[in-house]
Amino acid sequence: MDNIVFSIGITALAGALAAVAGAAENVESDIGSQGDPNSQVQLAPQMGYIHRIYNKAIAGEPPAWGLWIALGAGIAWAFMAMQINPILAIVLGAGLATFVQGVYSTTAYLGRTASLSKFGQPVYIDIIKSMTTVTMAHAFVAIFATVTLCHLMNAALGHPFPLPLLGLVWGIALGAAGSATGNPYYGKERQYQTQNFGAGVPISASGNIVRYAEAGERNSLDNGFFTAKLGGAAAGVCFGLIVFLELWRTVLFEKIGAGWGAIIVGVIIILVFTVIDRFIEVWARKNYGPYTKPEETSS
Amino acid sequence: MSVKIEVIEGGIPHQKILIAGLVLAVIGLYLSYLNVIVGTQIFAFFGGLAAIAALIWGSHTIKILASYGIGTGVPSAGMIAFGSGVIAFLFATKFGLYAPIVAIILAAVIGAILGYLANEVLAMHIPVMIKSLTEMAVVGALTLMGFSAMISGSFTFSALTTGSTKVLGMSLPSYQTSYIGGALIATVFLLGAIAIQHGFNACLGPGWKQDRMLMLTAECGFLSMMVAAVMSAALISPAAAILSFIIGLLGWYYTYMKYIELSKRDAAAWLDMKPIPEVEGH
Repeated sequence: MDNIVFSIGITALAGALAAVAGAAENVESDIGSQGDPNSQVQLAPQMGYIHRIYNKAIAGEPPAWGLWIALGAGIAWAFMAMQINPILAIVLGAGLATFVQGVYSTTAYLGRTASLSKFGQPVYIDIIKSMTTVTMAHAFVAIFATVTLCHLMNAALGHPFPLPLLGLVWGIALGAAGSATGNPYYGKERQYQTQNFGAGVPISASGNIVRYAEAGERNSLDNGFFTAKLGGAAAGVCFGLIVFLELWRTVLFEKIGAGWGAIIVGVIIILVFTVIDRFIEVWARKNYGPYTKPEETSS
Repeated sequence: MSVKIEVIEGGIPHQKILIAGLVLAVIGLYLSYLNVIVGTQIFAFFGGLAAIAALIWGSHTIKILASYGIGTGVPSAGMIAFGSGVIAFLFATKFGLYAPIVAIILAAVIGAILGYLANEVLAMHIPVMIKSLTEMAVVGALTLMGFSAMISGSFTFSALTTGSTKVLGMSLPSYQTSYIGGALIATVFLLGAIAIQHGFNACLGPGWKQDRMLMLTAECGFLSMMVAAVMSAALISPAAAILSFIIGLLGWYYTYMKYIELSKRDAAAWLDMKPIPEVEGH
């Protein structure tokens, strides 16, 4: 019984860490315009809309985050193998992985922007200086939290995978959660605030992203501030739920039917979420409806 | 159907990059084998240099392949390179001294089969597909082998699967603290897969330049070498790990500075704290 209580406590802690990681990951990728919003940031100068938005395209989010987390976990594993205290090892691992993330960010921005020289998009050095550090700060939080939860799974729950392999799996899951949940909010809403809600992006508006702020010119820090409110929280809840439910079903039901109990509960959870998703979708359609053309009113 | 949308003009021809990458990677791998012959670990850094040579070749292959509208992101090319390369690499480590040669042959066969499946079964019909995927698989296998040799001191199977743990001051052989047992191979897989695609993924666009892309790939390679050297400290002697780290750091600093210079050369303007320039019509 004590064992179950202990395991559930670890599960709750891992879920909380995952929520923090998901929120930080999403804000990081929104400031860097990675994933979903990237295509429009990349397209804008080609359509004549020169902007001051950070554009750090380092693969898609899942592979990129797979690397940051696997790297943090790999370095932490190496330090732990050298008999260094796990907390110190994880901090060092996350720190070095953050350094790699920062270097990749600067080279991605420089490369993409220099290749757009034909369209007159300049390289803004102040963007590199101010945005990279902010994305690195968010990346550190996300990497530290995720490597810690991997270590908890390995050391406290006795997961058979070594730390770097867990890092790879959960890093890809973290990137996928942030990319699927939080980023569309930035890509669809923030970038196209000037369009009617739900209007989609017509070809004529392609690349016409919001470039000016209430005062002055918009930069990516404003986007991070905007998405931290809802997009980041949604991504955090998403990844937190994934980690929590995954561990919860394993801890409670693994003993039933030689492991089959956990698998069956997993399938049931997926079915329950499918029903909830369908309900929300139908509800949203009914309340907000498909986008209809504005009726011609006689003036 | 696919349409070739970009051509490479000027620069070093692909054939030269291919041969240079292949030869340098094999030479680097065999220089790292000096560890086994001399009975030391100080030559581990040659593995990292071999991996960088292979990565530079691979990034140019991605450029050739992505010149055709293949409909997927550039990063997928890195994933398939390492996904097919890891099989050849693991199998080849059983062959001791002949491991690099076996890895090249086996990876080429796997790559050719994958290319055939993509072109004929999935009906993608891209002229360079079979050749490119063959090259990618070889690059993946050689890069993995290079970084593995660097982290664990040798590319033989026994070296990759045995480490040592200290119990009560005594050193005991252990599978758990080895390169494969500790799954450091998972980290190296992604280090290589991101480094190989980043060069082209970051530099694509109308203003693409070959020298800038290859410099960036070298930068990614040295950066990966630096962090791989940190991980290698757990498995090989501190002196060898520090030597690998210093070589990685120097190479990284040089290529990073060079890359910034090349970006400055190609950029439309290099501004600091300046507003959006006025463009006609908007």
